[in-house]
Amino acid sequence: MAGVAGEKLAQEYLLKNKYKILATNYRTATGEIDIIAEQRTMLVFVEVKTRSSDLYGSPGEAVTLHKQRKITQTALWYLKQTGQWEARVRFDVMEVWLKDDIKNARLNHIINAFGES
Amino acid sequence: MFAQTYGATTLGINGELIIVEVDMSNGLPGLDIVGLPDTAVKESRERVRAAIKNAGFEFPVRRITINLAPADMRKDGSGLDLPIAVGILAASGQIEPESCLRYVFISELSLDGKLRGISGILPRAATIAEAGKENIFVAPDNAQEAVFAGTAAVYAPATLEDVVLHLRGEKLLVPVIKHAMTHSETVAFDDLAEVQGQLVARRAIEIAAAGGHNILLVGPPGSGKTMLARRLPSILPALTEHEALEVTKIYSIAGLLKNNTGLVDNRPFRNPHHTISDAGMIGGGRVPRPGEVTLSHNGVLFLDELPEFPRQVLEVLRQPIEDGEVTISRAAAQLSYPAQFMLVAAMNPCPCGFLGDSSRECTCSVADIRRYIKKISGPLLDRIDITISVPRLEYSEITASGANESSAVVRQRVEEARSRQLSRLSKYGLFANSQMGHRQVKTTCKLTSEAQNLLEQVFEKMNLSGRGYDRVLKVARTIADLAGEDKIKAQAVAEAIHLRNNIKENAL
Repeated sequence: MAGVAGEKLAQEYLLKNKYKILATNYRTATGEIDIIAEQRTMLVFVEVKTRSSDLYGSPGEAVTLHKQRKITQTALWYLKQTGQWEARVRFDVMEVWLKDDIKNARLNHIINAFGES
Repeated sequence: MFAQTYGATTLGINGELIIVEVDMSNGLPGLDIVGLPDTAVKESRERVRAAIKNAGFEFPVRRITINLAPADMRKDGSGLDLPIAVGILAASGQIEPESCLRYVFISELSLDGKLRGISGILPRAATIAEAGKENIFVAPDNAQEAVFAGTAAVYAPATLEDVVLHLRGEKLLVPVIKHAMTHSETVAFDDLAEVQGQLVARRAIEIAAAGGHNILLVGPPGSGKTMLARRLPSILPALTEHEALEVTKIYSIAGLLKNNTGLVDNRPFRNPHHTISDAGMIGGGRVPRPGEVTLSHNGVLFLDELPEFPRQVLEVLRQPIEDGEVTISRAAAQLSYPAQFMLVAAMNPCPCGFLGDSSRECTCSVADIRRYIKKISGPLLDRIDITISVPRLEYSEITASGANESSAVVRQRVEEARSRQLSRLSKYGLFANSQMGHRQVKTTCKLTSEAQNLLEQVFEKMNLSGRGYDRVLKVARTIADLAGEDKIKAQAVAEAIHLRNNIKENAL
């Protein structure tokens, strides 16, 4: 599946950029977070969106307000579970364009893509 | 992680100093504004975010809480963009928090980080000066207005970046210099010399101007009622500095002030169309904004075709005429605006307009005329001291080439009469005869015995009411002031009776 391949690419990219991956596909009743990573003291929640064409808009555009709310809710669950209420937190979106071959994939890392409210 | 800056908002025609507190903590990133912000303030969130980013600074990835104190007062307008932005930069350590405390920031931000002008700078800046703050940041568009208001040093940088560089001490700004007062606003008033004939009406508006009396001009179409009314501001005394400041404040809040004009130095002349709503007349809106009565504060409110105004609109005029101010209550706020104006109204004597005309027959039935006059309520007419009929001119009068008295000459006499009134009435806190209550009338309107006799006769014959009696005396007092007499003579009383408001009686 394209989505799984995209998430894999995103993880590789983050590792290459000195992020520490804490969890992938973290799932609760409120939703799922694709990647939870740590960059120095900052917790980063990453939503990966993979597309094979821009025909239906760019991948980033698919992260609607509704989706953002689900992600922030899920992030709160994670923070509660791990007892990190006072953590510094950031939400990123990783856009992945996949053509027929994985070698031709293109990534766009949107840092601090959204926040609460 | 915490910073505080100062901003300002308006409440009625006064400014209020606002403390903007910015706290930054960990947690889900977001920006919350608390402290009764209205929509324009809430939206500043997006403007501030974009402006900080596009000015080349970093918008912190933190949970940001902004409190606008005092928290129980509703804040409106976009003027809080700049203090919020500076507060965020200070709380995130991009500016030294201490360095902002000496300044008050009043400006809207554009998305690319430029400072934008807003309305209502003058009252805000005046309040700031009173609160002892010495430095103000405003947009370049508002610079002169802010300088004018007070003693504070005014900085008017073009962009947010300039503000930050100044606060960091990297590139200091120079305070704005006050321009010499520009009189560009001075509209060349229409001059009274252009009015042909109408000697009685000219005299009447001179008396009205001298005593601040409300006046009603009655006459057929085309006789020059509007022409006369328009020239009334030109014979009113010049605004005192205090009055000019009040007027300028009101115009600043209403957003009618152009930049770099300094004080409004002409008496306002407002001429609302008769389709105006009551809210447009006295002010209204969720957070009430000034209406026509406030915009004509210290000036003239001219209502042409008086009976055409909706009754409701005329009724709401009663309170401001009486009290000189208007209080508007809405859910969001209750505000008082000053409304010390001279009411000048014009109307036709009957629906067709020719009642009492020398050459044209009136085609209205008695019932028509009655209905027409009845549109104006008694209580409103009761507050109009002078009524004068403005007849149609004869051909010889229109073409007469003799020089008429110019406004400047009349104005001189009006100013002298006003200064006599002021010296007599200032101990009561009044400045014009029209404002006198029954007590002041009793103590200040001394009649000669001859005048007393005349008034007694008239009182009996014409069935004057107590209020009507006071009104005649007030007008007579003004006529005596114009003549420079201390005691009111019989002649003045006679003229006052002639100018008396008797439109109801005439029509019936």
